[in-house]
This record gives sequence, structure tokens and C-alpha cells, in this order.
Amino acid sequence: MSNVIQASQLTLAYDNGEKEIIKDANFSIKKGEFVFITGPSGSGKSTLLKALYGQLRPTAGSLIIGGNDLSNIRRNKLQELRTHMGIIFQDYKLVNEWTVSKNVVLPLMIAGYSSEIQETQARRLLKHVKLSEYGERYPLELSGGEQQRVGVARALSKNPVVILADEPTGNLDDYSSNVIWDLMENACQQLDTTVLVVTHKIPTIFSLPYRHFIIESKGVYEVH
Amino acid sequence: MKFIKNHLMFILPLMAILLGVEFYLVFERTTNSYEKTLTEGYSMLVVSKKPVKLETFQKLNQHIITSTQIERSNIVSEVVKGISKSNSEAILKALPYFYNLGLNSYLHTNALGQIKKDLEADKNIKKVETFGSSYNSSYRLFAFIKLTLKVFIIFMAVVSLFLIIKQMEIWKYAHKERMRVMEIFGAPLMLRSGVLFRVAFVDAIFATIFVSGIFFYIKFYWAVQSGIDIMMQNKEELFQVADIGILFGSAIAIVIVAVYSVVFSNKGVQE
Repeated sequence: MSNVIQASQLTLAYDNGEKEIIKDANFSIKKGEFVFITGPSGSGKSTLLKALYGQLRPTAGSLIIGGNDLSNIRRNKLQELRTHMGIIFQDYKLVNEWTVSKNVVLPLMIAGYSSEIQETQARRLLKHVKLSEYGERYPLELSGGEQQRVGVARALSKNPVVILADEPTGNLDDYSSNVIWDLMENACQQLDTTVLVVTHKIPTIFSLPYRHFIIESKGVYEVH
Repeated sequence: MKFIKNHLMFILPLMAILLGVEFYLVFERTTNSYEKTLTEGYSMLVVSKKPVKLETFQKLNQHIITSTQIERSNIVSEVVKGISKSNSEAILKALPYFYNLGLNSYLHTNALGQIKKDLEADKNIKKVETFGSSYNSSYRLFAFIKLTLKVFIIFMAVVSLFLIIKQMEIWKYAHKERMRVMEIFGAPLMLRSGVLFRVAFVDAIFATIFVSGIFFYIKFYWAVQSGIDIMMQNKEELFQVADIGILFGSAIAIVIVAVYSVVFSNKGVQE
């Protein structure tokens, strides 16, 4: 299987390279894999994720996603690449002035799909995350677990090649967390999507075989 | 209520700028027309030993556009009453030639002085009268009014611009999260800023309609009833259909600058 993500001698830093977070990291992730990245608070988990969706440019080395090197990618190419990613955030990052349905189909809207397709997909996805009745509500009318299910539905809406999740269950109770893990496992199994989850704790209920990386002392190491 | 307030916060300063633009246009037109009237009503008196053609005057100074010779017989007609014909002919013969000269624009007194100098350089011209003192006082008053209004318009535009910048900061805050989320999911700039453009374009249309409405009212109702001569005489200059285009163009230009400054201050990639 081909690598969807490939990092070589990857260095990530803030403040024009002065504050190094990750240094000379090497790892690769194949299509359809489910990968956990863990590490103590402040170790650089979210920084790595930011780099993976192109929000932070590598200071040195290369970070290749779907054949695109993010260290020198052009803005319009990055925009195009992001349309093939599903991103899930700990704080959901839903647009509060939009309805749940509109939030879910954001990636389709960006890709220019017709409103009929968007409506059909919104209904299908909301059914999938068991929020069929919530389409016309607004995010702030929903509980945290429900909002995160909307976030997952949004991430899945365009059958992404990669799903990147930053502490997706960080703010949720056990029941809501398990629902989210189920949805992500299903996406990986049924859609052959690569899923990369940054979390401080791997869930015990997890049934899929997965790879586990840990970030420690600026390095990214695989745990066997 | 919040929706209306948000729109008004942009529409009102935009209207203030458009009012400034329209005031400027109207003022330029009416003062140009008034200047023309003043220019037409003004003439220089030239006394010459020999007859002088208009082309000769124009060679001396290009501001001169007309020359009218004052009939010498009219000048002497009162004087020669009771005098013999031969004597009156002698007086007429000895009398110099008088000309009223018209100018092409309403000139500063310095320029009038220059014209006088240029004319007096001709050996045949004996005397040039510019009526400088009365001309000078009306010119100064006119120039002062023009300057005051322009300063006021600029001041109004600057204050309004600050209000627009303030409103842009509110927009920036209000739309920051949405634009950020859209950017993360790969939305191009135009799609991210689409909502802002729509809101701002609607506001620009409303501001243009309101300002045009105000000036239509001034032109067709207020100016007629005001009793102010310059207003009534220059009613047609007060507002013209083409002004709607100028106002809308100005509003759109301000909107584009405002929206892009919000959009570009929300850029994402960290180097």
C-alpha cells in the first residue's frame, strides 16, 4: 500500500524557527491505516496536526501528503488538498450562525456541489451520526457530544482521503466519546480512509488494529 | 435589531463619505457656473492710441477672449454739445480708442496684474484699468468659501473613514471564526469573503439610494423653496443622474477596500 503521509527529517517550529517543537521526525502512514499520536501536554501533538493540514509550514525537512510537499506547497494547491481532508477539532469549530445541515455540507459547498446534492448528503450524514432531527437547529442548541457528531459528519461529507482529528473526545463524557470512536472506526473500515488521531489517551474500547506514535523530547517515535 | 444596527453602523459612515463626494461635485458645478457668471460680468478697460485687433490682444495675453470697442462718438456726444462740427471732429480725432476686454476664466488678482503688465508692454496701449479692488474682495470671499467647504468635506470623510475602520474591526471579529473554519476546509478567498461582500454591497446600494434621495429632495423641493439665488439659478447643477453612478462607484470602491482589509487580516498559514 502507498504512503498517504510521509515525514522526513521534519522540523516544526514557531517564532520564525526559534521555538522548535518537533525536530528531525521521520514517519509514514499508509492508506486506510488508523493511527494514534499521543504525548504529554505541550509535546507538539496539535502542532503536528496543524502542519498536516497546512496551517503551519515545516521549518526543515519534508512533509508529504497525497504527493504534495507541504513545506513548499502553493496556496491554491493547499486549498485544493484541504478539500480531500476531513478535520475534527476538540472544540468542534462549527459555524454557530449556520444550521447543523449547513455545517455538515461545508466541504461539499466548497467543492461546488449543487444544493440538491448538499441536501441529500446532509440528510444521509445526519442519519449516519444519529442526528436526523437536528438538521435545522443551530450548533449552540446541541450538547457537546452532539456537536462533535456534527463535526464528524462534516469531516466525512466528501469521503476524504485522510481524516485528521485533534483530541476529538477531549471535552466529551464516556458515552459520547464511544459514539465518536465508533463513527471514526467505521469510516476507516468502510471508506478505507486514513485516520490520524491526536489524543492524550487511547480509548480502551478500540477494536481496530492501529499504529501508535508518541511525541517525546521533540521526536516522533512509533510504539510497538 | 442587532441586524439593523450592524448594517447602520456601516451605512451611516458610508453615507457621510458619499454626502461629502456629492457635496464636492455639486459645489464644483455650482461654483464653476457662478465663476462663469462672474467672468462674463467682468471686463478690463484698455485705452489705446491706435485701433487694436483681438488677435493682437491675444498675442499679448492668452486669457483674453473678447474685445469690444467702445464707440468714441458716444463718449464725446455729451461733451460736444454746443461745439462746432469742426471742433467736435478735432476732439474725436484726438480721442484714444477704448476697449472692453473679456477673460476666459475667473482669475486671481495676481493673474490680472500680469495681464495688465502684458498689455502695458505694448507701446500703443496707454492705460489699462482692471478694477482690481472690488474684484479682489469678491475673489477672496469666493476662494475662502471654496476652501472652507473642501476642508469640511475632507474632515467629514476622514471621520467617516475612522468609523468604517471601527466597523470593519467588528466585522473582523464577527466573521473571523467562520472564515477560519472555511479556510481550514479549503475554501478559496472569494467564497470565504462572499458573505461579507454580499452584506457590504447591499449596504453600498442602500447608502447610494439614501444619498441620492437626499439630493433629489434638495434639488426638487428644498432648492425651489429656499429663496437662495445661487441655488435657484443652478438648480440643474444640484444633482444629476450621472451622480448616482459616481456615488455607487465610490461606495463600491470603499466596500472592496473594507472587505479585503478584513479578509486579508484573517490570513492563516504560519511560516
